[in-house]
Amino acid sequence: MLDPSKIKFLVVDDFSTMRRIVRNLLKELGYVHVDEAEDGAIALQKLRSGEFDFVVSDWNMPNMDGLQLLQAVRADPGLRHLPVLMITAEAKKENIIAAAQAGAHGYIVKPFTAATLNDKLAKIFDKLEQAAAA
Amino acid sequence: MSDFQGMEDLLQDFLVEAGDLLSSVDNKLVDLEKTPHEKGLLNEIFRGFHTIKGGAGFLNAHELVTLCHLTENLFDRLRNGELEVTREIMDAIMDATGSVREMFNSLEHGVQPDPAPPQLLAALKLAIAGTLTAAVAAPAAAAAAPAVPAAVAPSAGGPDWGGLMQAVSTSVAAFAPAAPAAAPAAAPAAAGFQPDVTGKSPEDIIKLAVGRRTVDKPGNPNAAPSRRDSEKGRDNSIRVDTVRLDQVLNLSGEIGLTKNRLTSLRSDILNGRSDTDTLHALDQAVGQLDLLVSDLQSAVMKTRMQPVGRLFQKYPRIARDLARSLGKEVELVLVGEETEIDKTMIEDLADPIIHLIRNAVDHGVESPEKRRASGKPEKSQVRLEARQEGDHIVLLVADDGQGMDAERLRAKAVEKGLITDEEANTMDERQSFNLVLLPGFSTKDVASDVSGRGVGMDVVKTNILKLNGTIDIKSEMGKGTTFVISLPLTLAILPVLVVCLGEQPFAVPLSMVREILPVNASAIQEIGGRATMVVRGEVLPMLPLSYLLGWSQEHPPEYGVLMQTAESSFILAIDSFAGREDAVIKSLEDFRPKGVAGVTTLSNGQIVLILDIKELLDSISGQRGVPRSVFMPQAALSA
Repeated sequence: MLDPSKIKFLVVDDFSTMRRIVRNLLKELGYVHVDEAEDGAIALQKLRSGEFDFVVSDWNMPNMDGLQLLQAVRADPGLRHLPVLMITAEAKKENIIAAAQAGAHGYIVKPFTAATLNDKLAKIFDKLEQAAAA
Repeated sequence: MSDFQGMEDLLQDFLVEAGDLLSSVDNKLVDLEKTPHEKGLLNEIFRGFHTIKGGAGFLNAHELVTLCHLTENLFDRLRNGELEVTREIMDAIMDATGSVREMFNSLEHGVQPDPAPPQLLAALKLAIAGTLTAAVAAPAAAAAAPAVPAAVAPSAGGPDWGGLMQAVSTSVAAFAPAAPAAAPAAAPAAAGFQPDVTGKSPEDIIKLAVGRRTVDKPGNPNAAPSRRDSEKGRDNSIRVDTVRLDQVLNLSGEIGLTKNRLTSLRSDILNGRSDTDTLHALDQAVGQLDLLVSDLQSAVMKTRMQPVGRLFQKYPRIARDLARSLGKEVELVLVGEETEIDKTMIEDLADPIIHLIRNAVDHGVESPEKRRASGKPEKSQVRLEARQEGDHIVLLVADDGQGMDAERLRAKAVEKGLITDEEANTMDERQSFNLVLLPGFSTKDVASDVSGRGVGMDVVKTNILKLNGTIDIKSEMGKGTTFVISLPLTLAILPVLVVCLGEQPFAVPLSMVREILPVNASAIQEIGGRATMVVRGEVLPMLPLSYLLGWSQEHPPEYGVLMQTAESSFILAIDSFAGREDAVIKSLEDFRPKGVAGVTTLSNGQIVLILDIKELLDSISGQRGVPRSVFMPQAALSA
């Protein structure tokens, strides 16, 4: 297992309260290295200029939404390896398909607890390790 | 007691942010009424409800989630062009935002909100189904099934999102009850739903729209609480631009450097160096410190400044609802939303501005028929404007209505016994307009629900004066009325006039001072046993400061300061004065002598009491005035 304190997260959401919620949940799980972005466009800028290991992004945002961000990340050779966890208030089938097709590593529906988030993260890290081992 | 143990911080954040969001949604709704097909607006409103829903979920505020979810679904269909914005739908949406705000109120009190009214939920469901309008039953809209949460098992095939689905379905349970499809069963419940604000009293409209504070209850003009009382229970956090904070940091760093310089100069001087170079360096360092400190003061002050737009946001919706309940058409135009005002002041202005807006909508603006008859456009405009003028902020509430009739106002005030006939005869137009700010004044014979009880307007004045501001009225018959509020930039720094009684200095707020006059015993007349002086035709009572404080007067006062308070003008008689200062007010915690608003330190290090003139006047009410003899040299000697 990776050292949680070394993993740098970028939390993307236009609602600052939500960013704080996610940040707190991550902190509870020992992930203390967290930066924030207000929308997809700002997130992309930060991702390109900073050393991030993980993206947790809201879906519905102004300027550039989460799905567009995901697509942009996957299209960028420097960023395409980044794990992206999508957060949304919607559990709509078509949304999940769209996220999966765009290359999301996970999908989590608001509201969620630290335990749910931990499960999701653990699954993604497992998958990444398997991929690295293979 | 709270339903939010351990989540208070989160809750506060949520309420502030979601409250702003809801206000902006409210405004966009008012815009949407004008341009119902504007896709951008529909999108933004959709996202507003969506975001509030997301945050509410984490607070376990299920009822709020349910309501936002329904509204959001409705907007989803509207923005996709599956539904049209109708008046019925609009009303249901407006009711929904009102209900959301009510829920914010209970959250603010630490209580999980009650469910939204069932009629409202039913109406929203019908609207989503496209059957809220009895007459219009768009077949296409009715056919399209509303979005159902994907709690269904995924169909086989496709990428490996099966695992994702599984994770999702655990949390979707929380949402299941929130998303019932518009069931036909909802129809009967909604049958009795009257989606119109007319069903609500305007008081409710305002309470809904403003939320929390209902301090200025009509009929209780003294209810305005002291600043310290109202400070509690309100949001004590503030959002500051980091650029401004950096400026403060930068300046305090610079001051640190200058302090080091001064420390080293001090030791030089203490060691006997006093050559011109050293003194020059000292002069420079002190001069620099002076500059830096005043920069720091203004930088710190700026961190308290907030754009007034945050306050203004609430009003278009209130104006719209009020106008509708009165059968009028009013557009509220906002100007100067970027003007910055001290945060505390913004909060204290919320209620007075509501009173002024509802006064404009109720009294100022005519009915559409009357407007048509006088050749005006049916839709009237009420302008709410803020701008900075020098070291003051000016707020305007202007309507293009019928204007005020000075003659009628005077007659009314006499009839109500508020002024005497003689007083009425000497009043000019401006003074007559100001009569509406007197307690107990109302020009309508039958009080209307909205603003006709003659309460409120005097509260406006009281509240503005509490902020060291002034209010003035301009009006032209047939053209409209403008209320002009003038406020100091901040409450933290108070320009004062320092007056002296013997050796003892006292500070009085400069905003109340009109002029300073020499006191000449021969110019003083006694009327009804009270010393008065005539200043440009105005008979003003002379009140020695010593008398207000209950001190003895050693010498006859030499100067008079013409003071203007809310109710009256008078001359404050003093021994001498020391000039004006920008006082930084320190309140006296837990100890407040009567008539003292606070203390400040003068430039020479002396501590001075800042007088609360209104309180001093209240303390002597009933026996207002001193005999003329006080101002006579011999009387003073014998005193």
